[in-house]
Amino acid sequence: MKKSLKLILVIAIIACLLLPLLSACNKSEDGASGTDKLVIYNWEDYIDSSLLDEFTELYKATTGRSLDITYTTYDTNETMMTKVLKGDANVDLICPSDYAIEKLLLADCLLSQKDVYAELQNDGTLDDIDFEFSGMSSLNANWGNIDAEVMDVISDTFSEVKSKDGKPYTDFMTPYMWGTLGILYNVNVVSEEELEEYGWGVLWNVQQNEDLENKILMKDSVRDTYAASVLYMKEYDLLPDGYQNYSIGDLINCTDDAMLKASEKVLTEQRDHISGYEVDFGKDDMLNEIVYADFAWSGDALWAVEESYDEDTDEYLLGYYVPEIGSNIWYDGWCIPKSVNNKLAAMMFIEFMCQPTSAISNSMEIGYTCAVAKDKLMADEDVLAILEENEYDTDEYFEDEGRYPEINESLGVMRDFGTRGEALVGMWQRAKSGNGVSPALWWCLLGIVGAVGLAIAIYFIVQALRYRPRVIKSAEPKEKE
Amino acid sequence: MAKIKFKKLRLTKKVFSVPYILFLLLFVVIPLVLILVNAFLDSDNNLTLENFKTFFTSRANLIVLGNSLLVGVITTAFCLIIGYPVAYFCSKMSSGRILVLLYILPMFVNFLIRTLATKAIFIAIGVELGMGTVLFGMVYNYLPFMILPLHTTISSIDKCYAEAAQDLGASKATVFLKTTLPLSTSGIISGITMVFIPTISTYAISQLLSNGKIFLFGDSIQLSFEQGLYGVGSIMSLVMLAFVLISNLIMNAFNSNANAVRRSLW
Repeated sequence: MKKSLKLILVIAIIACLLLPLLSACNKSEDGASGTDKLVIYNWEDYIDSSLLDEFTELYKATTGRSLDITYTTYDTNETMMTKVLKGDANVDLICPSDYAIEKLLLADCLLSQKDVYAELQNDGTLDDIDFEFSGMSSLNANWGNIDAEVMDVISDTFSEVKSKDGKPYTDFMTPYMWGTLGILYNVNVVSEEELEEYGWGVLWNVQQNEDLENKILMKDSVRDTYAASVLYMKEYDLLPDGYQNYSIGDLINCTDDAMLKASEKVLTEQRDHISGYEVDFGKDDMLNEIVYADFAWSGDALWAVEESYDEDTDEYLLGYYVPEIGSNIWYDGWCIPKSVNNKLAAMMFIEFMCQPTSAISNSMEIGYTCAVAKDKLMADEDVLAILEENEYDTDEYFEDEGRYPEINESLGVMRDFGTRGEALVGMWQRAKSGNGVSPALWWCLLGIVGAVGLAIAIYFIVQALRYRPRVIKSAEPKEKE
Repeated sequence: MAKIKFKKLRLTKKVFSVPYILFLLLFVVIPLVLILVNAFLDSDNNLTLENFKTFFTSRANLIVLGNSLLVGVITTAFCLIIGYPVAYFCSKMSSGRILVLLYILPMFVNFLIRTLATKAIFIAIGVELGMGTVLFGMVYNYLPFMILPLHTTISSIDKCYAEAAQDLGASKATVFLKTTLPLSTSGIISGITMVFIPTISTYAISQLLSNGKIFLFGDSIQLSFEQGLYGVGSIMSLVMLAFVLISNLIMNAFNSNANAVRRSLW
């Protein structure tokens, strides 16, 4: 015993000695040979990946050092936040949504971009390079290149949210993309009249469209599905008493027990009409006509609509509709978490993303609406050239209501639920698990038990028949004669 | 001094087990301890028993658990009903070994790819995704785990037993029921363990083959951890562990009672 213990100790010591050595190897690679690292943690399908190479070149040209970008992705805010909040994510840049930024900010996980800029200025890093940070909303008056209307909504909604040392929300983020939540539908199955008349009810198949039954997809993401249920309740007057006069923004962010209960009821009802929950394959299933309606983010929807264009008939198979009663307006912003290692590269990357040309490349690649102001885009000749190159009609592109909706009262921003998040997850878990054990399972079990029972019974009957006492046959023929 | 120490560290057979012991410590024991610790902590890292209360008073959680156990039992039953005849006839045939290899061939493909392919087939032939497809996916995925131990056990049974029974005038059915079946009990039991335990904890198959509509215990645990509810998620993992241990104990009890050839692959 003692021997093996000692051996374990020795191996442990060797391992301890080796580990720092390994990481030291990495470090010397960083500095001496002139390679910097940048770790980006972004949403899936959320960037034009050729821009990463462009940025590497830009970084090399500006600082003289080459850059090694590690690009990783997540599929919901919650996945990313769990990692960042627990301190497991060793990343330089993240791109959370509105309420997620609020949560991370309140948890003291983010760095103010103004502070980072000041720090870079003070230690002389910025003196050595020729690079201007004129596009970022967090550093510039009039929000730099970013759409002022969007920034107004953000600064209004989060005016009371301050970091521990009293800095405003807008110092910590630079918007990247924004959009709405709505219904992506198949024009052959769902008519526009239906959408106008039933609004969010289409996702519950209120109109009892036979083709649509069981062909609806919802988001497998608590916040979005909760918002949908709230909007549906508002439209069909199913809200609990006392909540009728709430604005859309207040309703989306209300987590009172009465609201959760009502939402659980409508979501459980919805289970009988939908095909399932997804976060990633919805647009593909829509294009392949496996399902006919999908609760979607505007960018995914616009991308899918574009893909569904049929050149032979000059028609689009899919459409995107935001019900008039209201919806959610969301945005994702670049933030620098406290785990940042390469502050300069992180800041430069955000600034690079705020350039009109990168913004439009991203928008065209992923379908989402970039946060760079419309007039800044239209005034930039390179942008117009890129649009033309990809056969877009400039006017049509910028006047599309799905892409650039009118920002008004009916669009609400999501806020952080704070400690009420757990209650919401509990509700979501109940809604997803349904009301009880599926009867199909009981029938299945009964069938198996029955079949086995039958087999045993048959065996015993056969045995009994075979070994039954028999009359001696030789006596029988005689009697007949 | 150094010389003595060196002598004590002689290479013996035991030394070769050290890497695995270390591995177990790092990746099995420590995570289990972490789960145990997390189960008693709330979101602010205070000691609490609230998580237990949350889990055991929630009807939805218990329904999900019940659903999972039921799915596990049904899958195991189907696997046994389909797998036993296959294993039996394969062990009777001279080409049986190759046939069994064909049955376990799907195992060489990654199970996620297999499941996604199954889903694509269901969609192509117009089968609605739901409990039926989930059960199919489970049986399809875990059938090899049933056939393999059964085949090994059945083919290792001494033929003399069956021949002796036949000589004494037993019919074919009696020969099977009185010799082959009892002698293959150990294979049946290890097959059941191999299928039942993974099925109650599975989550990807149910999620993929029902578009997330069928929500099993594994899905529930995954959701809790994804949403940062480490406490409740840990409790669920512990409950799962308890079920695994219980089913193992039951199986072992059966196995030691069975007066059978104790030779199986697993």
